[in-house]
Amino acid sequence: MAVKKPKAPKYEQTFVVQKRGFWATIWRYKWLYLMLIPVIAYFLVFRYAPMYGILMAFQKYNPFKGIRGSEFVGLAVFKKVFANSNFWMAVKNTLILNFITMLFNFPLTILVALMLNEVRHLAFKKLTQSILYLPHFISWVVVAGIATNLFSLDGGTINNIIIKMGGSGIPFLSNRSWWVFTYVVCNIWKEIGWGTIIYLAALTGVDESLYEAAYLDGATRMQRIMYITLPMIKSTIVTMLILNVSRMMTIGIDAPLLLGNDAVILSSEVISTYVYRLGIIRTDYSQATAIGLFQNIVNIIILIAADRFAKAIGENGII
Amino acid sequence: MARANKKEAALESMSSGVKQKFGALDVIIYVLLVVVAIICLYPFLNVLAYSMSGYNAVLSQRVTWYPIDIDFSAYERILKDRQIWQSMWATVQVTVLGTGLSLVLTTAAAYALSRMYLPGRTIFSALMLFTMYFGGGIIPTFLVVKGVGLIDKLASVYVPVAVSVYNFIIMRTFFRDLPESLEEAAMIDGATEMQVLFRIVLPLSLPIIATIGLFYAVSYWNEYFTAMLYISDASKYTLQLRLRTLLIGTQFGGGDAGGDSGVQVMTQSLKMASVAVATIPILIVYPWLQKYFVKGMMIGSVKG
Repeated sequence: MAVKKPKAPKYEQTFVVQKRGFWATIWRYKWLYLMLIPVIAYFLVFRYAPMYGILMAFQKYNPFKGIRGSEFVGLAVFKKVFANSNFWMAVKNTLILNFITMLFNFPLTILVALMLNEVRHLAFKKLTQSILYLPHFISWVVVAGIATNLFSLDGGTINNIIIKMGGSGIPFLSNRSWWVFTYVVCNIWKEIGWGTIIYLAALTGVDESLYEAAYLDGATRMQRIMYITLPMIKSTIVTMLILNVSRMMTIGIDAPLLLGNDAVILSSEVISTYVYRLGIIRTDYSQATAIGLFQNIVNIIILIAADRFAKAIGENGII
Repeated sequence: MARANKKEAALESMSSGVKQKFGALDVIIYVLLVVVAIICLYPFLNVLAYSMSGYNAVLSQRVTWYPIDIDFSAYERILKDRQIWQSMWATVQVTVLGTGLSLVLTTAAAYALSRMYLPGRTIFSALMLFTMYFGGGIIPTFLVVKGVGLIDKLASVYVPVAVSVYNFIIMRTFFRDLPESLEEAAMIDGATEMQVLFRIVLPLSLPIIATIGLFYAVSYWNEYFTAMLYISDASKYTLQLRLRTLLIGTQFGGGDAGGDSGVQVMTQSLKMASVAVATIPILIVYPWLQKYFVKGMMIGSVKG
């Protein structure tokens, strides 16, 4: 220790930065700032530069003139977007698909997490968890391929079985209501296991002596689950619920695009696929950008509202 | 780790100290979990069964979860197809280069911004978090990617999505939770931030680097939409893009596959064999890497 003593002042320098000038501070932390440069460059180019493109939402965008040369039209693009019934259909479908998925996925995930938490054979628990997490790592292209093979009316395995048992085939992929069912089932299949991790993580913090005390007091298994386990994950449940609600207007493009088909387009067209078709396929850049902006603003409003609500009921905020 | 050990110790004391019977509730739970596990596993068995079954068995729709008249010709056809190998190679490049780039950027940012004494760290973090909730949208991003000349280059599949803010948060949390005393000791010895990073922090952070690396690798392997947006040259198709064209098509492969007539009906076996080929790499690494995934999720969930 005695040898190290003379070098101590350098260590103290770390904590007196405030007294230095701006450039001296930068120089003092040059390595850390140098490490930040590539990331800052990435965020400027691929996350912030596109925000400049939002101007297209207020323009009659002309690809040959670019953003600087195109004519500004105020809110005319938004008026055009809102006047189109296809847009409202996409909004409605987004909300419906998200809501139904959440309605089933949310409680089922908690149920599976509670069941996994009750398993005391570690080998069985680990194996089950491994199998349940697996679908999360499969791409939507593959999931859609498997779903077609399982659910199609002509030669799908499930319909083969139904027909063999004397039933008549079910149009899982080509009837609008059945398609919603299939979409929800695929989503639950893919994410139910992975979703349990967050609850199991919350449960690792539970003090085991609580269970022992309850056991000694004569509480049944069910009572222990109801009065110890559930209250322990209550705040996680509320947070997850609020997060889910705050994402109601957001929908990944992979699942509806890959599972959808022309027969069910009136149910499978959601905001993300609508923006894709409008912007990339029909190259109406202004409208696609305007919808993106509208969606962003709605998202931020819901997020802030959900956060306020969470704090108002005494839970952790989500921002 | 300490927490997990504590929990295991508590569990052990419970099962030995407080003897619990294997009651009716346990039976119900175990049965239900087995059912859920079977549902999760069945579609994979279905894929393997179709891909390995004989032509007539598939055509007469008798295949369910086990192969009938085992026949590997679908795999032979797939593995002889030049385009499949081409897109497999493209995806391997995207996954390796993308994961490398993402890890370097994310680790550097997470480490720098986890240093509580770094002036300006709150602003930089806030600017990154903001992009989780607000962005330009797909068209403005598309124009930027086009503007920097990435269209139809494999780099377009990973460069525009190189940093995931979510992964950044997980990593920053991990770096923050490392004991400060280690770093202070090194600083007293006169080490610079770079030396602290490479000699102390990174060696201690291998588990989290593995976790985040795997998150990135899986997302690049599975990436479909960015590839579809930016890659139109068929010779640069990634595996997912190729797989999609095979799955929705009724015909299988040009190139030198089959060779006899060129136009052949794409059977269910071939489709499922190509699904298997695209998924098997993930299934192979999955069992070994699973614990890392879970660890990462746990860190992320404790302090979102």
